[in-house]
Amino acid sequence: MKKIMKYRHAVLAASISTVLLVGCNANATKESTSAVVKAAPAAATTMSMGPAKLEPLGPPPIPADNLQSPGKIALGKVLFFDPRIGGDASTGCSTCHEPDQGWAWAEDFSRGYPGTVHWRNSQSIINSAYYPRLFWAGSASSLEKQARSAARGGVAGNGEADLMEARVALIPEYRKQFKEVFGTEWPLIKDVWRAIASYERTLIQLDTPIDNYLKGDKSALSEEQIRGKVIFEGKAGCIQCHNGPLATDLKFYNVGVPASPRWQDDGLAQITFRFEQYAKGMTQEGYRKAKDDWGYYYRSKNSWDKGKFRTPTLRYVVYTPPYLHNGMLDTLEEVVDFYNRGGRMEDGSTTSFPQNKSDLIKPLNLSDQEKEDLVAFIEAFSGEEILVAKPELPDYAPLFTKAELEAAQEAK
Amino acid sequence: MGVRVKTGRTLLAIALGLSMAVGAAHAGSYPDIGPLPQIKINKAKAELGKRLFFDKRVSGDAAISCATCHNPKEGWSQNQALSDGYPGNGHFRNSPTLINAAHKKSWNHDGRIGTNLNDQTREMITETYIMNMDMRIMQERFKQDPLYVKMFKDAGYGEPSNGSVRKAIPEFLKTLTSRGAPFDTGKMSGAAKRGMKLFKGKAGCISCHNGPLLSDGKPHNTGVPENFDVFLDPNNHQAFIAFTMFQGIPNYMNLKRDPGFYNITLDMADMGKFMTPSLRELKYSAPYMHNGTINTLAGVVDFYNRGGGKDSRKSDQLKPLNLSNKQKGDLVAFLESLSGDRLTSSEHVWNKSYPDEYPAIQNWQHARN
Repeated sequence: MKKIMKYRHAVLAASISTVLLVGCNANATKESTSAVVKAAPAAATTMSMGPAKLEPLGPPPIPADNLQSPGKIALGKVLFFDPRIGGDASTGCSTCHEPDQGWAWAEDFSRGYPGTVHWRNSQSIINSAYYPRLFWAGSASSLEKQARSAARGGVAGNGEADLMEARVALIPEYRKQFKEVFGTEWPLIKDVWRAIASYERTLIQLDTPIDNYLKGDKSALSEEQIRGKVIFEGKAGCIQCHNGPLATDLKFYNVGVPASPRWQDDGLAQITFRFEQYAKGMTQEGYRKAKDDWGYYYRSKNSWDKGKFRTPTLRYVVYTPPYLHNGMLDTLEEVVDFYNRGGRMEDGSTTSFPQNKSDLIKPLNLSDQEKEDLVAFIEAFSGEEILVAKPELPDYAPLFTKAELEAAQEAK
Repeated sequence: MGVRVKTGRTLLAIALGLSMAVGAAHAGSYPDIGPLPQIKINKAKAELGKRLFFDKRVSGDAAISCATCHNPKEGWSQNQALSDGYPGNGHFRNSPTLINAAHKKSWNHDGRIGTNLNDQTREMITETYIMNMDMRIMQERFKQDPLYVKMFKDAGYGEPSNGSVRKAIPEFLKTLTSRGAPFDTGKMSGAAKRGMKLFKGKAGCISCHNGPLLSDGKPHNTGVPENFDVFLDPNNHQAFIAFTMFQGIPNYMNLKRDPGFYNITLDMADMGKFMTPSLRELKYSAPYMHNGTINTLAGVVDFYNRGGGKDSRKSDQLKPLNLSNKQKGDLVAFLESLSGDRLTSSEHVWNKSYPDEYPAIQNWQHARN
């Protein structure tokens, strides 16, 4: 309890100074000063519930430029499962986001494009609709952009826009549906991404035990889970980052995850590792020296962001092992152990960038019972497994008849 | 003009005789046909290029190599009308032989690469419907292959890199030069000699097929009919659409013909023009024309004997030739005399196996990437 109190004080102090700063930046009138004074106790109250609070998940945000429609969702579903949306027509979205593998891929690294392996863990599509930024380092700002990047990346879909667009245009059923949904004479690749994103916005789960509990059904959690919730929000401090409706603060942290052991002894993984340094625009020196995933650094280029990754949601995690950005841990028990040791593996190893490790990560001294309770509570973020029958894929058909070609030949 | 030594004099004599026989249409003086110039080759670089040429790891999904569509056993081309292309799609043109590619000034049937083989190599490796390789991945693959690490170093390239791949493969291609063709060795049959006379005379072939490569390196519209399989097979058509889309061809979705050189100029006058191919080393690289629509050399001769195909923009150099069957046979004999060794021994073919997997770099944590 003491630790938590300390933490609260620190945050309280921080919020007060924030308010002060805000006050200064705004017109520092008497009124705003008094507001600060008033704000202090208010902040204290919000702290116990404040930003660090779990909330039930509501409907996902729908971007104004890509509204949902039944036709678009249905089209997006087929496209999601169509491997022709990729380089050699073998690797589509569902290839690395398999519904029966938690809409992810059940290995440490995602499988890559044929001839490659990926270098990070495949994240679940379920509830991805809520992320304002996609990918572990937040490099895509919408599902539409994520779909495009994944379909094109050299160790992912390795597709090129022009060829993928041509393929869709040669499938009569797609032509028909794209015309109905988007009103274009020919399917456009950007609308492929929009349809897929629309479908993904339907892959959400709002009726998990934790949602039902937070909405008032106190029987939705078991006693064990309720004890786990207390630990989650208290002694273990998970709530500091895993809060809000998505059980993530959407911020970037270095929590102490070490470099993947795959890079030590797997030649194919070493290839991808170096490619990623190259592809992410590292300096020559950075490329030569990097031995771990630098995470958010690739985007910010600030040294203090090395090894930081976006807090992932805890929702649906029962179905999405292994865990962490590099899939190093196979079970939720191992994840809890990892945090209980203060962000260290069983052998004591931790991040390659210890200077950036979050101060929030400290040994927790949880008892076995507490750890079990915590795992039970984390499981409350998952409802029923979401499985779908894979849609039948429409076939290609020639665009022109032989007679049309002969007529064109005659007219030359 | 006395360059070509022995053959030069005979050719000159023949050429003189011909220009009189042919009359105005073919009276122009054309660069002499004759032996190809020697190219200096760096052995270590060419050897590296050879290993790269036959290595499937040069393609995105590691399923095809350069040799897949330029197979030594099929005349360094593919004995099918349309090239395979990358897995998951087809192609819309015929794969040309690579023998003598190093002597050309431009590449591809539409001549869209007119700089050097370095650029052509990059084009083939990275083009989506051909090898679909992100060369940054390719570079890292080769840094993970100890034999390549040694070969790049021995070739003076330092560590494996994209740039060096683009140099080494062209160096290898330089080794693929006509060797032992009767035309070059002077061991032409009587029929071939008569055919050569027709080639330069009555048939007028030399007006486009001239110089040591027997090509003027220019685009012409000869009215070759479309290969409908380009459009009737969606695998081929998707590659065609991707290509024409990328080239900025207007109304590419409704296009029912290969625009050829028009790709480059977007000038309708160039619609349907294709680069004059070299006539060397065609014996084993059937079928013929940019889209593989003619199966035999005899068929090609027939095509031109008819004055080419039907196209409102067809070159007016093409006229019915009125060749007799015997003359056509002689012309084919001459064309065949332009082919020499098949270059299928280990001198030109990498016969050794490639590793099944990439060994891990030892002591990775402390090794410099």
